[in-house]
Amino acid sequence: MKPLLNAQNLVKQFPVQAGPFEPRRILTAVAGIDLELYPGETLGLAGESGCGKSTVARLLTGLMPASSGSISFDGRELGSLDAPGLVRFRKEVQMIFQDPFSSLNPRMRVEEIIGEPLAIHGIGTPAERRDRVATLATRVGLSPDHLKRFPHEFSGGQRQRIGIARALAVSPRLIIADEPVSALDLSIQAQIINLLQDLKAELDLGFLFITHDLSVLRHLSDRVAIMYLGRIVETGSREAVLDRFLHPYTEVLLSAIPRIDGAKEHRVIARGELPSPLAPPSGCPFHTRCPYAQPVCASEPPPLEEKEPGHAAACHFSKDIYRSKR
Amino acid sequence: MAALLEITGLSTRFKLPGGELRAVEGVDLTLEPGETLALVGESGCGKSMTAASIMRLVPPPGRIVSGSIRFKGEDLLQLPEDQMRNVRGNRIAMVFQDPMTSLNPVFTIGNQIAEGLRLHRGLSKKLAEDEAVEMLSLVGIPAPRERLKDYPHQLSGGMRQRVMIAMALTCRPELVIADEPTTALDVTIQAQILELLDRLKEETGMGLILITHNLGIVAERAHRTAIMYAGEIVESAPTDELFGNPLHPYTRGLLASLPENAQPGERLATIAGSVPDLKMALAGCPFRERCPICEEVCATHHPGMKEAGPGHLVRCLMVP
Ligand SMILES: Nc1ncnc2c1ncn2[C@@H]1O[C@H](COP(=O)(O)OP(=O)(O)OP(=O)(O)O)[C@@H](O)[C@H]1O
Ligand SMILES: Nc1ncnc2c1ncn2[C@@H]1O[C@H](COP(=O)(O)OP(=O)(O)OP(=O)(O)O)[C@@H](O)[C@H]1O
Ligand code: SF4
Ligand code: SF4
Ligand SMILES: [Mg+2]
Ligand SMILES: [Mg+2]
Repeated sequence: MKPLLNAQNLVKQFPVQAGPFEPRRILTAVAGIDLELYPGETLGLAGESGCGKSTVARLLTGLMPASSGSISFDGRELGSLDAPGLVRFRKEVQMIFQDPFSSLNPRMRVEEIIGEPLAIHGIGTPAERRDRVATLATRVGLSPDHLKRFPHEFSGGQRQRIGIARALAVSPRLIIADEPVSALDLSIQAQIINLLQDLKAELDLGFLFITHDLSVLRHLSDRVAIMYLGRIVETGSREAVLDRFLHPYTEVLLSAIPRIDGAKEHRVIARGELPSPLAPPSGCPFHTRCPYAQPVCASEPPPLEEKEPGHAAACHFSKDIYRSKR
Repeated sequence: MAALLEITGLSTRFKLPGGELRAVEGVDLTLEPGETLALVGESGCGKSMTAASIMRLVPPPGRIVSGSIRFKGEDLLQLPEDQMRNVRGNRIAMVFQDPMTSLNPVFTIGNQIAEGLRLHRGLSKKLAEDEAVEMLSLVGIPAPRERLKDYPHQLSGGMRQRVMIAMALTCRPELVIADEPTTALDVTIQAQILELLDRLKEETGMGLILITHNLGIVAERAHRTAIMYAGEIVESAPTDELFGNPLHPYTRGLLASLPENAQPGERLATIAGSVPDLKMALAGCPFRERCPICEEVCATHHPGMKEAGPGHLVRCLMVP
């Protein structure tokens, strides 16, 4: 199968300046990552706060240009698309945002919010659009009388449904969802997760799902990628990464999950402070915090390489560390 | 030993055009020194307004209509406003749900932290700055001294949340109320901050009220847990007991909806329906329209709090 979306060696740098007389410095938010996404597949992306997940989402949806690297959708390079090609890309790749409170226009009625992408892309007559909006609203569990209301009259979970209906309006083939459930309480979170699962199965959508909740990640993902300081440090099937991890950062992340049985003995603690993306460590970016670091880790950057079929990790010692542990 | 905090019969309401909204309704809570109490419940059930009531910061048109809030024996609801101001920030600190609206956008974060230290602890500028750096590094902010010069908008969401926590802790409060303090943080930083809170509790006997929807955090950190629904506490128990033996149908529904309780890809259990309109008069049990074991009597009788076991209280007519 051909990937729907293929990103190669993606880099994003921001010039930052602490004050008017301070020197300009370069912050590398995304430091060269490769990603592939297939139809009907969910790729879960997780990693520390500030590691570049949202930046990746913005690059892939074309909301922000990459500093270097290439993105192709359906076999065509984004940079080579003509104007109609770009319009099609914007239609086929949709984004669901983290915050259901600030991502909806407060002055628009729900039917206008959901129908706006249809209007922008000039799809259908006004009457056809109204029908489509009503169908979508029902699909995500909103009732017809909700359509005349404004966003502030809805709960967090209902607002997130409005955002999902809007993303689905133009029949996208790929949805990028940036922390879509982390602001919601448990029972509403469960409703939204079920809805996303149904839609994916029904419409054969590709999904990129960004979350820092690893139990949600495990529930939804077919494949998983773990990021640290702008790089992917481990990737593979859900079972491979979450049950047979081969990178110490993945182990630290998984062991930090607060568990309902209250057991804390499983913890593997990363020492030290979070490095700043303005001054990333030499060698392996995780070496300043890695519980298994060796001298070579401070000088030699480990490449992201396949350690078993379909399962890659960026660590010099994954075989040694995890062979003895399992 | 006297309780650190003892709330009895607290009710807080909002006068709205369509009627009075009961945000908090007859809440009783007790917190001992060094104890962590978790407050859990569906969005809009009154957790933040319970916290706001303790701080006497309920926004208008809301007001506390009855009850008492004893802090080390003294009823906060009877204190004159100037004494209450001293309690706030100095003896009881609050970490708010929304860090962007509770940090002042026109001052650097260094200014905001040091301000509190100079005001409440009378530290010199230099000492206050050193302590601010120390606090920021304790909550895991990289390069804290450089960060002092940053304005709130220059920090990522997770960093702002940590700054709020640092500010709340600088004055060594006796009670901290933390409203969703770690929602925007990834698990490793989450763990680091919760460890820090636990350590301060052990060292100083500080009490902690933790409002969160993360039940894993509750299981790990809270001695007692209170579950709220539609303004009322519907179940409260020592945390192990509550998770091991949940009795209220709402608590059971909540635990069933955890992703951990389903196979990957399977449908998650949900609680059908939504919270009742809090402006309507309470007849019967507020949970009855969503309750899987509802009986006829639930429509007419409002359940009172019953003791179901040692320290285990539940508000349900069907629990023997
Ligand atoms: N417009 C910008 N200008 C300067 N720096 C930026 C900008 N946007 C992001 N950054 C920086 O890039 C890095 C990655 O940010 P990003 O928002 O992608 O992180 P994230 O992984 O989504 O984090 P979180 O989990 O907290 O949402 C951070 O250090 C951030 O401060
Ligand atoms: N300023 C206000 N005006 C009117 N009603 C309000 C106001 N603030 C809160 N309420 C209402 O009071 C009730 C309790 O709100 P509260 O903020 O305590 O909920 P919560 O349990 O903290 O929810 P969440 O988990 O979403 O933060 C809600 O029904 C809410 O709509
Ligand atoms: S390469 Fe070295 S420092 Fe990096 S993760 Fe592996 S053991 Fe740790
Ligand atoms: S009192 Fe009745 S409706 Fe209320 S929770 Fe108990 S069984 Fe359900
Ligand atoms: Mg983000
Ligand atoms: Mg709240």
